[in-house]
Amino acid sequence: MRIDLFYTPGCPKCVANKEGLRATAKKLIPNLLWREMNVLDEIDYAVELGVLTLPAIAIDGEVVFASLPTSQHFERELVKRISKEA
Amino acid sequence: MSLTIGKIATLANVSTDTLRYYERELLIEPAAKSGGGYRLYGQDALRRIRFIKQAQQCGFTLTEIRALLTLRKRDEACCQDVRQLALEKRLQLEAKIKAMKVMSNALHNLIEACSIDSRPLDDCPILAALEQAIGNTN
Repeated sequence: MRIDLFYTPGCPKCVANKEGLRATAKKLIPNLLWREMNVLDEIDYAVELGVLTLPAIAIDGEVVFASLPTSQHFERELVKRISKEA
Repeated sequence: MSLTIGKIATLANVSTDTLRYYERELLIEPAAKSGGGYRLYGQDALRRIRFIKQAQQCGFTLTEIRALLTLRKRDEACCQDVRQLALEKRLQLEAKIKAMKVMSNALHNLIEACSIDSRPLDDCPILAALEQAIGNTN
């Protein structure tokens, strides 16, 4: 599973729970590809995926969170997707 | 120096109706009212109106401009907050451009399909495609 976190440098809310979210993803997904995308460098990719607000999280190319979720909310979403894939 | 609504509208190159609308939207307010009840504005209002116009040209809505003006007054706000709003606005504009390109391409394909311009209207592929699209949405 590929997870892209779009952020802007110097944005406090972009990093507020970033490590917690990454730890949640690592715990649940064995073949995780976690990428942190500076939107200033990746604006075309962000537009391609439809990112409109920051920070945002895309899972496998789909913008799922338009702001950073709580770890619990994130975990629920990942579990839902893992069970769909299985 | 106080400026009447007519004077400041002329200086800012907007109509007086626009200024009254800005006032209803809580973007500007007169510094005072004259004895006769006329609105009077200070020089800072002129800067503010020009700021609003410039921000509108960059695609910001009046609600977003109000947020920008509020940020300017907040002691703890910094340039990063404004940058964040500007960046999100750019993402929204780019998304609109992308959608409009798709629409333009769809029209291009329809125009290409309608290369014979002497056909009767009943055989017009553009109208047929649009009617089919309407049928699909119903």
